[in-house]
Amino acid sequence: MKLIQKNGIDILIKNTKNTPRMAVCLYFSIDLPEKYAGVYSLFSKLLLKGTKTRSAEELADIIENNGIKTSIKCKQDYLKVSTLFLNEDFNLALEVLADILQNSTFEAFEKEVYKLKGEIVADLDSPQLKASDAFIEGIYEGHYYGNSCAKTLLDLEKIQKQDVVDVLAQIMRAKKVISIAGDFADEDKIVEYFTNNFSFMKTSDSKPEIPDVLTFAGDNGKDKIVKIAKNDAKQAQIFKGCIVGTQFSEDYPKIVVMNNILGASGLSSRLFVELRDKQGLAYTVRSALEPMRHSSLFYFYIGTEPKNIQKSLEGFKIEVKKLVDTHVLDIELTGAKENIMGRLEYFSQTNAQLASIAGYDYLMGLGLHYEEKYKEMILNVTKDDVMYVAQKYLQNPSMISVLAPEEYLNF
Amino acid sequence: MSKIVEKKLIEYPFLPEPLRLITFDNGHKLVLAKKESPMVNVSTWVKTGSINENADNNGVSHFLEHLMFKGTHKYKAGEFDCTLERKGGIINAATWKDYTFYYVTIPKAHLELALHMHADMMIDPVLPDDEIGQTFDPAGVPPKDGRERCVVIEEIRMGQDRSWRKVYDKLNDAMYEKHPYKRNVIGTKEIIARISRDDIMAYYQNFYAPKNMTTIIVGQFDDEAIIAKVQEEFNFQNAAPKKLLTPDERVPEVQIKNPTVIEEMAEIQTGYIMAGFLADKAGCLKESIALDLISVILGEGKSSRLNRKFIETPEKPHFYQIDTCHYQFKDGDNFFIEANFEAAFKDEVVTEIRSELDLLTNIKEEELNKAKKRLKVNFAEGAETVSEIADTIGHYMTVMEDVSLANEYLKTLAEIDTAYLESVVRKYLTKDKCSISILMPKA
Repeated sequence: MKLIQKNGIDILIKNTKNTPRMAVCLYFSIDLPEKYAGVYSLFSKLLLKGTKTRSAEELADIIENNGIKTSIKCKQDYLKVSTLFLNEDFNLALEVLADILQNSTFEAFEKEVYKLKGEIVADLDSPQLKASDAFIEGIYEGHYYGNSCAKTLLDLEKIQKQDVVDVLAQIMRAKKVISIAGDFADEDKIVEYFTNNFSFMKTSDSKPEIPDVLTFAGDNGKDKIVKIAKNDAKQAQIFKGCIVGTQFSEDYPKIVVMNNILGASGLSSRLFVELRDKQGLAYTVRSALEPMRHSSLFYFYIGTEPKNIQKSLEGFKIEVKKLVDTHVLDIELTGAKENIMGRLEYFSQTNAQLASIAGYDYLMGLGLHYEEKYKEMILNVTKDDVMYVAQKYLQNPSMISVLAPEEYLNF
Repeated sequence: MSKIVEKKLIEYPFLPEPLRLITFDNGHKLVLAKKESPMVNVSTWVKTGSINENADNNGVSHFLEHLMFKGTHKYKAGEFDCTLERKGGIINAATWKDYTFYYVTIPKAHLELALHMHADMMIDPVLPDDEIGQTFDPAGVPPKDGRERCVVIEEIRMGQDRSWRKVYDKLNDAMYEKHPYKRNVIGTKEIIARISRDDIMAYYQNFYAPKNMTTIIVGQFDDEAIIAKVQEEFNFQNAAPKKLLTPDERVPEVQIKNPTVIEEMAEIQTGYIMAGFLADKAGCLKESIALDLISVILGEGKSSRLNRKFIETPEKPHFYQIDTCHYQFKDGDNFFIEANFEAAFKDEVVTEIRSELDLLTNIKEEELNKAKKRLKVNFAEGAETVSEIADTIGHYMTVMEDVSLANEYLKTLAEIDTAYLESVVRKYLTKDKCSISILMPKA
């Protein structure tokens, strides 16, 4: 990726020859907590629901009649507006993109509130999502990152149209970047196109005003547990996790390697081998790491027969103890590093992936060539480092969320 | 070592070079596709799935898929996973009605190792008893060493907690009279708990014959060297099955004989509905493409008829989601309309979906053009990664039984007009030809 800064706009660009579809991602920093849970989701939905010159119907027609894929994704720290199109549709796809960001009217506000409410109720029919929702809300209680689906349902009625309009003004004041990957004959022309037609993407040096969450205190120093009864559930859904260092922390690469060994490498991770292969407790068992700007979340997940809840939680404990007490094997360490490198390559194959990763790294302040730096940091992780982060983070109080039939929740 | 009996070059959409299709004397096929990428994909697609099962061994294809990872005479259980994942590989497998496939996607420096271990797994699985786990009474308590049996039973349980899965399973059963497609691919707890290693091995020996396998390699490599490596590694031992299995008779069903409505209840807040139709086999390319087009027009995207009418236009829609999809199968396709809705409106939802089918014979030129563009883009999308290319080739080799149909697809797509689409609607998609499955909240 190359960075071009022109007329106050930061453009990341990568020329990938012989690719039929081009990807463009516009990233905006989210610097403030949302006023009510759900405001940012609502804003994202309304961006495709009509502009000053196009109705929602016309927007859908022009996008879908041309096989363009436009998506708006609002995460805790950023808004990503991306479009993916055949090279022949360059002008059309980008004209639509500029239109929705400059001229959205938000007139369908009431209707989208109604629809969002229905969609959330439907989403919460999923036992896994319900347990995960309670987990997020519990671990980030009192913080904007804890704005769960359930909290959004409670807050939706309070949201006014002006709250959503304010989000647009807010992101337009924030740091931004355009990230492009595709096959283009003349790079200068592409840059010229964006500087001429995307002047609203002028970036700024705004700073986020979202507080950091670097620890989880639990329930008076003990694990905090949320139990959700669902009497017809065939499986218990269990999430258990804690807060760990962010991507800016020197611990981060060490945590990535630990996570890979523990439960994120695929079929050969410790959790997979011990809890699934040897004990037959689950089809899905894993650990995961979700980095955000002001916090990083580390958690275990298992879907298991309800009578195995205790056994599963005990299994997590045993695996943590092993990491805390004993060095990982050399072969595990080198294998984890190679696995991480392979996954980086795997998820950097398409123009959409390339534009997305580079845009995110740049917006978050991780740097232009973060991927290279990241690889180097991973390669430098030692067995001591893995033990150190296991001791530092995994012995802290955890947030535990369990969904199961009521009779199995007496633990 | 096998010998090459046929070599073909086959054009493939959005790839710079044609595919190389090689047939060996034992019937094993190899497809090579070139794609500039840091990764390579090695996969083998086996022409078997629930299509070759019967009431006694339903689920065996999927159970075997799990057990194929449990070691060979060269590599013990877990070595395949560890070795390849520790080289940056992503490995897995999947089972469906017509096929089972196994894949490795790995940085290209490790192609030879991946091919070696993948071939070994395909031709020499040991299926160790201690990895399979003890058989047990499904009504009782699973044994402590239930091992992979228990893993599969957990997978069954996981599906039982998913609303869409519940609706689909009921509908799928109701759509067929006798065809093996009627059964759930994953099988039942009762069968998985009791099926013996001998029966699983017999299934392997019957259906994992070289003539049923297509190996696909996508990425950057030297063709001649890789062909020689495949010949060397896929050294089939000609082990004749000790026990010949007789899967159920497969009489294609291309129309539901007794359309019905099934309703179930669960501890949920919203309603789920699926309407299902049968159609002719995927190999009937023009009809199959027509069903793809109709699916886009009717229910894919915000501008589709169903989304526009029931979600985007009403001020207070009682549908939360409505989609369509077309599944291709060797013995006959499926077409589905599926919706998630506010439970109080169940009767209206059923009526509205049915009445929309009556309007489906009035397809506009602009709707057709949109759908054609979308399908063209889908092909471009499917050629972006080594894994996606391999998956599409595998699908064409096993379900369509002819990979050259991938290129024919775009030519045939261009020829289809609205009159043809309407004839396909009348043939397969009228409201008297569908069964419906509904899942509702408990009162």
